[in-house]
Amino acid sequence: MDKIKVEICCGTACYLLGAANLMSIEDEIPAEFRDKVEVEARTCLELCEKENLGGAPYVRFNGEEIMAQATNEKVLARIEELVGGAA
Amino acid sequence: MADDLFIEMEAAQYTKTGQGACGDDVRFMTVEKENRHLVALSDGLGSGVKANVLATMTTSMAIKFLESNVPMLEAVEIIMDSLPVCEVRKIGYATFSLFDFRLGGKARISEMGNPGYIHLRGTEEVAPLKDEQIVSSHWPDREVRKCEADFRSGDRIILCSDGVTQSGLGVRKDMKFGWRRSGVLSFAREKIAADPDISARDLSEAIARKALYLTPDGCKDDISCVVCYLRHPRVMRILTGPPFYKEHDAEYARQATLGFDHVVICGGTTANIMERELGVKVKVKLSDMRTSGGLPPVGTMEGVGIATEGILTLGRVLTALEQMRPADREPAAARAILERMMRHDRIEFVIGTKVNESHQDPNVPQDLELRRSVVKRIAAALEKNYRKKVTVNYY
Repeated sequence: MDKIKVEICCGTACYLLGAANLMSIEDEIPAEFRDKVEVEARTCLELCEKENLGGAPYVRFNGEEIMAQATNEKVLARIEELVGGAA
Repeated sequence: MADDLFIEMEAAQYTKTGQGACGDDVRFMTVEKENRHLVALSDGLGSGVKANVLATMTTSMAIKFLESNVPMLEAVEIIMDSLPVCEVRKIGYATFSLFDFRLGGKARISEMGNPGYIHLRGTEEVAPLKDEQIVSSHWPDREVRKCEADFRSGDRIILCSDGVTQSGLGVRKDMKFGWRRSGVLSFAREKIAADPDISARDLSEAIARKALYLTPDGCKDDISCVVCYLRHPRVMRILTGPPFYKEHDAEYARQATLGFDHVVICGGTTANIMERELGVKVKVKLSDMRTSGGLPPVGTMEGVGIATEGILTLGRVLTALEQMRPADREPAAARAILERMMRHDRIEFVIGTKVNESHQDPNVPQDLELRRSVVKRIAAALEKNYRKKVTVNYY
């Protein structure tokens, strides 16, 4: 099974609007999921300049699914769903 | 050509243990329109605040006199006449070493009471072209040495206070008279032999540190070492912001090909342009995400340079430069940029002028300044506080 890829946008707007807190997300992923998830920091996903996506900070799952206004809770919950779904 | 040359002038200092102020003072000045570079180093009598006042008075006056080409003897007399007289020793006293260099010309060195300067070409010591002693009729016991030196590309001139040459004195059995000028000379030669391109910053720091090391139970006297190094400038380039016209992206990205150690890509969108145009991915280590300390983490683009976030990082860099704060107290991204700036002589900014609209979102909890104005202030601080040459180009 491929790892679930989680990309955190570290662009200015995302960082200021909450991505700073997402930097520690790796540590919060439950131990049993850790080898199934790959977290990456991205310079800028260039989503903030597009309208109607819901607002920064943005996190992208598996290269396509975009989460707007991401928080640690929301990201962790989505990881759990994706890992559960894939298992 | 003289235009291609840069003079790196740096000082390293340590204060006598137990004193709140350094009794030596170093002052630099660049007279832009004459392409002239001046240094004054003075060691005030005694130590602490009083010595600092004497030394600072001396360097401030001396550098002004040098700038306005006042004859050396006259300058020395005015300085000696103005210094307050020490209650304890009944003399007004501060030593000095002055360095005056016009790019493309000769270097003039004057010294009074300080250890003799050292002029190195590679590891070889170079003798002055002219060397004379002058004595003032007011102050017959004060001899001033005036030298003229053929200061060429690749040469270094080292000035120090006696805290350097006398380090180890009375502490080390093998150094009855301290480290001495000869010790400093052979140490500098060893350092240059090991690293022929060693910067003035690193060499002055190495000499001052060694002097400190020779007095293991605390610094006995204020230590100051100045190194002036004439060479071809070390150039770094900082690319920040997307170009106003998308058609210019490719040309803009080509500016980033200067070698990994000399390039900083500053900004998320800028990094994306580089990824697209140069075909190199930005990599961020996870451990760097956790320890980035208040700024987005630093990434690397293999073969290109480092990549950081844009305006927040530049903002931190600006504050550190304006307040002359050491880089090691800054978050990783700002530190990486500051350390690179310190290692280079000429800093070229390449600015894309497109405005990032998401920064103007009223929900963003911080005022984000425009890149151009932040860079303008960074350039001013680098020139004024760190004697760097800065150029700014817009795309």
